[in-house]
Amino acid sequence: MSEIIATLKKDYIYNLMIKGKRQDGRGFKEFRDIKLETNIISKAEGSAKVTLGNTQVLVGVKLQPGTPFPDSQNEGVIITNLELNAIASPDFEPGQPKEDAIEMARVVDRGIRESGAIDIKKLCIAVGESVWIVHIDVHILNDEGNLIDASCLAAIAALMTTVVPNEQYGIGTNVPLAMKGMPVGVTLAKIGSKLMVDPSLDEEAVCETKLTIVSSSDGSIAGMQKMGPVPFSEAEVMEAIDMACEKAAELRGLYLKGLANKE
Amino acid sequence: MSSMSDKPEKLITDDGLRLDGRRADEIRPMKIEIGVLSRADGSCYLEWGRNKILVGVFGPREAHPRRMQRADSAVIRYKYNMASFSVEDRARPGPSRRSIEISKVSREAFEPVIMAELFPKTAIDIYVEVLQADAGTRTAAINASSIALADAGIPMKGLITSCAFGKVDGQIVLDLNKEEDNYGEADFPVAMTQDGEITLMQMDGHLTPDEIKKGLELVKKGCKEILEIQQAVLRKKFETPIEETVEEVTDTEDTGNKVVEAEAPLEYASEAAVVEEALEEAEELEEEQLCEETVETDALAEEIPEFEELEDIIKEAEALVEEDTVEDVVEAEIEEEALEEGTLEEDALEEALEEEALEEALEEEAEFEASFEAAPEPEDFEELEPIEEEVSSEVEEVEFDSEELAYEEAQLEEETGIEEVASEETFEPEPEIESETKTITEVPAEEAVKAEVEPEEKKCEGPWKVVKDPSESGSRGENE
Repeated sequence: MSEIIATLKKDYIYNLMIKGKRQDGRGFKEFRDIKLETNIISKAEGSAKVTLGNTQVLVGVKLQPGTPFPDSQNEGVIITNLELNAIASPDFEPGQPKEDAIEMARVVDRGIRESGAIDIKKLCIAVGESVWIVHIDVHILNDEGNLIDASCLAAIAALMTTVVPNEQYGIGTNVPLAMKGMPVGVTLAKIGSKLMVDPSLDEEAVCETKLTIVSSSDGSIAGMQKMGPVPFSEAEVMEAIDMACEKAAELRGLYLKGLANKE
Repeated sequence: MSSMSDKPEKLITDDGLRLDGRRADEIRPMKIEIGVLSRADGSCYLEWGRNKILVGVFGPREAHPRRMQRADSAVIRYKYNMASFSVEDRARPGPSRRSIEISKVSREAFEPVIMAELFPKTAIDIYVEVLQADAGTRTAAINASSIALADAGIPMKGLITSCAFGKVDGQIVLDLNKEEDNYGEADFPVAMTQDGEITLMQMDGHLTPDEIKKGLELVKKGCKEILEIQQAVLRKKFETPIEETVEEVTDTEDTGNKVVEAEAPLEYASEAAVVEEALEEAEELEEEQLCEETVETDALAEEIPEFEELEDIIKEAEALVEEDTVEDVVEAEIEEEALEEGTLEEDALEEALEEEALEEALEEEAEFEASFEAAPEPEDFEELEPIEEEVSSEVEEVEFDSEELAYEEAQLEEETGIEEVASEETFEPEPEIESETKTITEVPAEEAVKAEVEPEEKKCEGPWKVVKDPSESGSRGENE
C-alpha cells in the first residue's frame, strides 16, 4: 500500500520536474530558506545550528588535548562524527551508526580535511606529545532532506566560531581556531537527466541518486561523493560541478563571510 | 594531502616517469584469475600492482534474515573487508567506517547492471577480501567483483570497470600507487559501465573543474584497457569455438588488424590522437559487423519459427523501456480501468482539477493522481484497493516479460560475440587463444595469461622496473 502511494507521489514529482517545476515551487537552482545560528551551545568550544527548510542540524565542536598520529607529529587531529538521531525521523533507529550515517560523516569530514579549512599545524601543543584533537559532532535533529549540505554548512560555521580553550588547560590565553578556508558542500539530485540543488525529502526519495560536491573558496573541488545507484554521464558531472561551485560561492557570501569578518 | 618527513622529493621525474616507471596515462600491470574458489558460485583473484584481492560471489540464494527479502528483486550485498595483515600497521579486524562506506558505494556501482529483478526474495552476496593493499583497493575490488559476478552466471547488462585518477606533483595521472596516494594532491576513484556511464565516483583532495575534466578523459582510457583485460579473461575461460560460423564472416580481416593496431599500448602521449582515431574507425567497423550479424540472425529465424515473433516483442519491449513509457502505459491503464468502472466520483475529479491546474496533455493522469491526493471518500478508497492490486500485479508481469526478453537477447548477443572472436582467430597467424589475447591487450593480458602458470613472486614484473617500496608508513587511505 505504502509503496503504491510512493509511486504515485513519485510520478507526481517526476511529472512536475518535466515541466521544470518543483513540489514546493522552487527553481532547480534554488535552495530552501537557510537560517544559521552560531554559538548556541556555550559548553561547546564552537557550535552552529542550520535550519534548511525544515531540516535541522546542530554541530558542536569540542577540543581536547591528545596524542598525535605517529606520521603527523606536529599536526592536530580532526574527528568527525555524525548521528542520525532517532528523534529526527521515524526511519532512524537508535544504536550504532549505519552506513548512511557513516558515509555522510565521512563526506563532511573529507570536505573540511581536504580543503585544508583548519590550519592543523597550529593545533600542535608539543611536537610528538600533545596536539589538539578537534571533535566535530554533527547531530541531525530533523530530517527533511539534504542533510549533507546542512551538515557541511553547520560544521564549517561551528569551526569558524570555535575558540581554542588554552586557559582551561593552562597553556596560555584562548584564541580563535586558525582557519584557512571555507568549504561548502552542495548536493545535486539527479532526476531524469536534470539536476536540482537542495533536494527535499520527497525529492530524495524520487531521484534515488545524489552527487555531493564540496568546493573551496578558490573554486577548486575538495571532495565529491556520488550516492545512489543511478549512473551519471560525464557531461552531467561537469554540469554538476559548475552548478555546485556557483551555489557554494553564493552560500559562502551569504552566511560565512560575515563570520570570518567578525574576528 | 598529508605531510610526512619521508616524502620523496619528486613523484614524477623530469622525463615524465613515475616512481614505478609508468607514464601518467598508464595503469599498473593487472593479473586476473577466474574461478579460484570451489565453494563460491563465482570467484576471482586479482592482482593490480601490489594489490591482491580475492572476491567470492554467492547466490542468488534465499535471503536471510527474511525481513531483508524484497518481493520484487534480489538484494545485493557487497562486503569489502581488509585482512588485518594487508597493510603496514595491522588493521583492526572487522568492519571499519571506511570499509562500510566503500561497501556501500561499491554496491551502488553494481546495482545499475545486475538484473536483480529476475530473482525476487533472494540475495546476491559479493564478498571482497583485500589480502594486500597498495592504493586503489576499492577500484581493484570492483574490477574483480565484476569478473566474479560473471563467473557466477549472474545476469548483468554489462561489466563494471573501475580505475582512479589523481593529481601528483601538479600532474593528472592514472591509477595512483601507494606513494602517490600518500603524498599526492588528489584521489578520484571512478567506476563505469561499458558505455561510460559513471556508477561510482568519489573524490578527495584539491582539483579544479578543468583538472577533473582532464582526469575523467584519462580514466575513461584506463577503464577501456581494463575492460579489455576483463573480457580477455572471460573469453579464455568461457568461449567455445563454433566452427560453422567461421566461414560466414567475410570482411573482417581488415577490421581485426585495425583493432589490434589500435589497441597497442601508448608509447608516447603524442600518439594518443592517432590511436584514438584508429579506435573510432575500429568501432565503426564493429558496428558494420553488427549489421552483418543481423543478417545471420535472420537466418536463425528460419530455423526457429517463433523467432520473428520473439524479436518483435523484444523490439516493442525495448522501445517501451527506452522511452521510459512502461509506467505511463500502465498508468493509463489504471485510469481507464478506474474510469470505466466508475470508481472515481466526478466531484472528486473536479475538486482535483481545481487544485492542480496541470497542462492538458497530462490532464487525465493528473485527475487520477490528484483525486487520490485530495483524499477520496473512504468508500472510494476501498474500491480502489483491489484495482491497485490488480494493477501492481500487471506491472510485475510486464516488467518480468521485458526482462526475460532482454535476458534472452543478451544471450543471443553473447553468442554472436563468440562468433566474432572465433572469426578473428582464423586470421591470426597462430590460432591459439593465448597468442590472440597477447596481441590484443598487450602487457597486462600477457601478465594475466602468463602468471597463471608462474609462481607469485614474478607477478608484479611489468615492462617497467618495479621500484622497491620506500617505507609505507603513510597512514592515509588504506590503513585508517
